[in-house]
Amino acid sequence: MLGNLKGLMVTLSTFFRHPVTYQYPDEHKPIEDRYMGFPVLMWDKNVEEPYCTGCMVCVRYCPTQCMTAVMKDNPLHADGKSTRRKIVDSFEINLGRCILCAICVDVCNFDAIEMSHEHELSKYARNDNRTNLPKLLEMGKAYQQESGWKPEKEAKAEADVKPVGSSVETKEETAEAES
Amino acid sequence: MNALETLMLLSKMLGVLTGLSVVVLSLTWLERKFLGRMQMRMGPTRTGPYGLLQPVADAIKLMAKEDLLSSWVDRVAYWVAPLAVFVPTFMIWVTIPIARDLVIQNMDMGLFYIIAFSVLSIVGLVMAGWASSNKYAVLGGFRAAAQLISYEIPLILAVLGVVMLAQSMNLQEVVSKQGTVIYAAIQPLGLVLFFIAGLAELGRTPFDIHPAESEVVGGPFVEYSGAHWAVFFLAEYINTFAIASLTVLLFLGGWLFPGLPGDVSALGVLVFLVKTYMVILVIFWVRGTYPRLRIDQLMSLGWKVLVPLAFVNVIITAVYMFYGWPDWSLTIMSTAILVVVGWGFSRRMRTAPTPEYTVKLYVPAPEASNAG
Repeated sequence: MLGNLKGLMVTLSTFFRHPVTYQYPDEHKPIEDRYMGFPVLMWDKNVEEPYCTGCMVCVRYCPTQCMTAVMKDNPLHADGKSTRRKIVDSFEINLGRCILCAICVDVCNFDAIEMSHEHELSKYARNDNRTNLPKLLEMGKAYQQESGWKPEKEAKAEADVKPVGSSVETKEETAEAES
Repeated sequence: MNALETLMLLSKMLGVLTGLSVVVLSLTWLERKFLGRMQMRMGPTRTGPYGLLQPVADAIKLMAKEDLLSSWVDRVAYWVAPLAVFVPTFMIWVTIPIARDLVIQNMDMGLFYIIAFSVLSIVGLVMAGWASSNKYAVLGGFRAAAQLISYEIPLILAVLGVVMLAQSMNLQEVVSKQGTVIYAAIQPLGLVLFFIAGLAELGRTPFDIHPAESEVVGGPFVEYSGAHWAVFFLAEYINTFAIASLTVLLFLGGWLFPGLPGDVSALGVLVFLVKTYMVILVIFWVRGTYPRLRIDQLMSLGWKVLVPLAFVNVIITAVYMFYGWPDWSLTIMSTAILVVVGWGFSRRMRTAPTPEYTVKLYVPAPEASNAG
């Protein structure tokens, strides 16, 4: 009987709590910074060309074989504008087959492919998720814009200029020296 | 009875039917919204503001649905069953007043009439279960019969207590006797008995044993679909509203409210509806809280707890009336019994400790004894 009343109080207290619902199509849950969505190709703003050279390392390592890439001679290199001798000609990812494992990102030597925040890519037909180079680059640009992504070398260089925990470390060092 | 009177009566009945349908629509919305909030969900939101058009969408969907018929169905009973459930629930409303003079036909034996008619819907449930030629439906129908007949007794005896206090079976009289003190204050035991037995009569959680989805997949209604299922649904919600309004009329003072004039119809209806919806919210609240009882728990609660308590309720009321004691003496007796029984009940219901047992291992006899 007392337990029954307690139970009633529990449901009453949940009644006055705010619903935890997200009204999904209208209202999205916030995406975490390290969220792993579908892989996209990055755009080199300095040269205005993709980072990807079409070397096919990612294609070879992909466990589901959802990618294809074709390489070509870089016309910008012939003009002397770019250091890349080869550049990607066409690139296709079947996002329906991708399992979001990020192996392609790990094996890429050029920081050309990254896991983006794209995840709402439902399509009506079975093969509508085949995504070609322009679309991948567009998605990559959007991701770069959104996250302020930088290739690993540049990011490292910046981190060396202003180390985050440096002040704390120096304090500790001085304390050790004093003792 | 001349033509005009017949026409008046017919239009009144039509008005009641329309009003009840609107109430049912509001109740479905209210229940879903209320239960949703209790589970920290939103409830319906997509149909109109606050999902208010959800019942309309449901109704359209039910009407447009295909009415499937199993080939082994006993057709006559199958088609009559929804009506046999719905008609008694509607007939009750002939004599339930929603304000001092807002009633189709006030009767001196009103409560008797209501009880007599509300029992009839059991026949419809059993009929539906039997005619469906489905084992779950038959089980559900029999469960309904067992449950509803058992719980009629405490319900009727709880009503009897009120009838004794009011010295009348006329609902208007019962309400007008509560002008100074409501019967819930004089007879809290009666109110609790009536409410619990009423929940069981409705087949609502925690007593939803006959339509139990997880056991008999919807009970007597398994085979019904579309509009015929909607009729059962309608009857269930009208019954919910009827039990809530009977609780209000018998125990909570009906359309009377301290400080408000009881003889203004519009005000009376408003007070009555507010009180009734409060009771209905309590019913939904109970639904959102408790799990379903097992059938043996249901029977033992009914016969071992509620029926004796209902007799005790009648007896203490009789004693109080015979000796002409003041009102508060009955209140004290009633509350004391409620507390004592509640305490005893909670002690019984406390989970028993797991019984200790020893595991006996099989040890084969040593072979050496065999050799000798």
